[in-house]
Amino acid sequence: MKPIRTTLAALAAAAVMTGFTPGAAEAAKQKVKVVFIGPLTGGTSANGLGGRNSADLAVKLRNADAKAKYEYEMVVLDDECKPAVGVQVATKAASDKAIIVGVTHYCSVVAVSTVDTYNKFELPVVVWGAVLPEITYGHTYKEINRVNGTMINQNATNAKFSTGLGYKKFAVIHDTSDYGKGHNKYFSENLVKNGGQILGTFGVTTDQQDFNAELTKIKALNADALYFGGLTPIGVRIRSQMDKLGIKANFIGTSGIISDAFIEGLGPLAEGILAFREGAPVDKLPGGKFFMEKYTAAKYGEPPDAYGPFAFAAMTLALDTIEKVGPDRKKVRDELRKTKDRDSIIGPITFDDHGQNTYAAISKYVVQDKKWVVWEDSEYASGKRKLAGR
Amino acid sequence: MVPESSSLSPSESLWPAFAAIAGATLFAIVFMWAETEAYVLGAIAAAAACAWAARRFGVSARAARIFATREKVLDWGAIAGTLVLLAAFHEEHFPLLMTATVLLYLVACLGLNIQFGYAGVLNFAAAAFFGVGGYTAAVLIRHTGIPHPIVLLIGGAMAALIGLVLVLPVLRTRGHYAAVITIAFAILFRTFLEVNDALGGPQGLKLPGLQVFGWNFNRNFEIAGIGLSFYVNYVLLALALAAVAFALTRRLERSWIGLTLDAVRLDETAAACFGVHLARWKALSFTLGNFMAGVAGAVYALMLGFIAPSNFTFGDSLIMVSIVLLGGIGNPWGVVLASAIVVVLPEKLQLIQEYRFILYATMVILVLLFRPEGLLPRRLRVYFPGWNPK
Repeated sequence: MKPIRTTLAALAAAAVMTGFTPGAAEAAKQKVKVVFIGPLTGGTSANGLGGRNSADLAVKLRNADAKAKYEYEMVVLDDECKPAVGVQVATKAASDKAIIVGVTHYCSVVAVSTVDTYNKFELPVVVWGAVLPEITYGHTYKEINRVNGTMINQNATNAKFSTGLGYKKFAVIHDTSDYGKGHNKYFSENLVKNGGQILGTFGVTTDQQDFNAELTKIKALNADALYFGGLTPIGVRIRSQMDKLGIKANFIGTSGIISDAFIEGLGPLAEGILAFREGAPVDKLPGGKFFMEKYTAAKYGEPPDAYGPFAFAAMTLALDTIEKVGPDRKKVRDELRKTKDRDSIIGPITFDDHGQNTYAAISKYVVQDKKWVVWEDSEYASGKRKLAGR
Repeated sequence: MVPESSSLSPSESLWPAFAAIAGATLFAIVFMWAETEAYVLGAIAAAAACAWAARRFGVSARAARIFATREKVLDWGAIAGTLVLLAAFHEEHFPLLMTATVLLYLVACLGLNIQFGYAGVLNFAAAAFFGVGGYTAAVLIRHTGIPHPIVLLIGGAMAALIGLVLVLPVLRTRGHYAAVITIAFAILFRTFLEVNDALGGPQGLKLPGLQVFGWNFNRNFEIAGIGLSFYVNYVLLALALAAVAFALTRRLERSWIGLTLDAVRLDETAAACFGVHLARWKALSFTLGNFMAGVAGAVYALMLGFIAPSNFTFGDSLIMVSIVLLGGIGNPWGVVLASAIVVVLPEKLQLIQEYRFILYATMVILVLLFRPEGLLPRRLRVYFPGWNPK
């Protein structure tokens, strides 16, 4: 079976060297394969499907562009948000020589488990959604890049901003997944740097229902604010149980609670809650309007979700790079790493020596009248309303 | 499936058996290689046509008779078939990874088969024991210089040891209640790993590759100028393990121990009346099964080079139970067939992206609907090959 694929790859390579001349007949465009990997099934499939559609949109727009040198085909693989499956599909994608570059992974635990595979099989990838710092900073591989910010950036902004508002004494609740623990770690570090103080830290499981034990202790601590590192479902439970116990501290969360479901679940209790997220909201992104117009026009079944624009930007960057240096993994790898001040719909992209995008725009959000409003536009910023505990 | 008579004349030609093995091998190769919908469907259609023709012309019945009387033909044929598969894919990483995964799942599920199929001890924590083996290997290899082959055995021993702790409550309960204990353990195991930072927490641990007598399993190598994927090492190791596990299961079934285990499963009261020590035999089968799962888990972790709690969820335990159910409880050949189907099929269904689990689940339900005893139901005990009690 191997000779067939190798022959194909050899033919493809030969075609690059001999067949290609700019402005050649459009019908004879060389085909180039790229891969998208994300969670298409399971609990995080909404993000995965949004990402897939967005990446697909980037490929379609490029294929519709008459100036594009190649015709692109996107292979889509499902990592199920499980590391073992992630390594499997990464091996599959990376050992297919026809695939030149990958736009990979939303789940941090999958992204961090596959970096070795990409390095071993030399497939350059751009991570589009996973936020764990180790994915880019845990090694020195040249293949791994990331367009979205890490949870370090998010929490640095959060700690600085919150202490600036006057919240100094924090109680922390985080879930015990990699997401919650990472957030706890970076928030605590940054808070101390900014002169804040952690009164108590409580780890909870992602499916815990009753938080009275933790919250009773937190009430006794008399904190200014409660930092929550976790996702929407338990965030809703904690906030409503805080109210029952009469805790007046404000609730400050992470990107994990920025969802409409969070506000619907809490109703008026959501008012004044703060949260932080990488990137600007789609309508504030430099190319957000363009992206949403095209996305709507393409009539996908699912919304792009929070990280769709990142998948779009990652795929566009990958395709640009192939256009520039040709479909060759090594060249694409080196060229990707050189990315500097590249315009994209999520703002400029510049990779540092670990392939991490250094431009990390963190947006601050506050709930105002049952909507997530960017802080700068809110009545809290203008002084019209006052946050709880201030 | 049961042949009408076992009176096979020694002179009867063996060609139907060889044809069946060759056909199955060819199908496996084509199916693993197939990348597009057309090829996958074509391979299935061709196989179905061949199977129909074989049945129509009595070839399959003759092959079944030969397999029943001369088991060595099937045993060695299966090993030879796997080696041919290995040779065909010697340079392709992904099919080899899948083959090794199938074989390791086979080892673990044979263990589950001993517990579940023979002694009737329900175990819904097979993936957790698989994980115990993997984590033991990870910790020992990272922190000690113990030779790796011994580490694999310790991985199995550790799973057996932890299983022994569970044996007490399992023995004191029956049926559903025993099942609930193992479910509790499966969930507890994952939570324990997630909050335990020494074991990598939710992000998991990285492992170096396996080394046996200075031979590095994670390096591609060449024999007589032919490049081989490093996964060849793991396939060979997994094949050896699977062969040993299979032989052990077969021997166990045919010994007086197997008879005792069957008695324990079928009627505890009657067995106890005849002086069978229930606790001893349940504990033995539980421990042996966990040992096999542990060894398989250790190799699996080393092969993937990464281990994380989300690889060993309750859902993964259910997949292992479903392999035993789908194959036919108590029939090791059924476990072989079902392992291959359950591991490879969802992977092939990547073609239909997010809908693949719907289709996959439908197929499993259909199989259980039309073959409630599994694909290859267990037959009457044959104490030695070709034995005809008439």
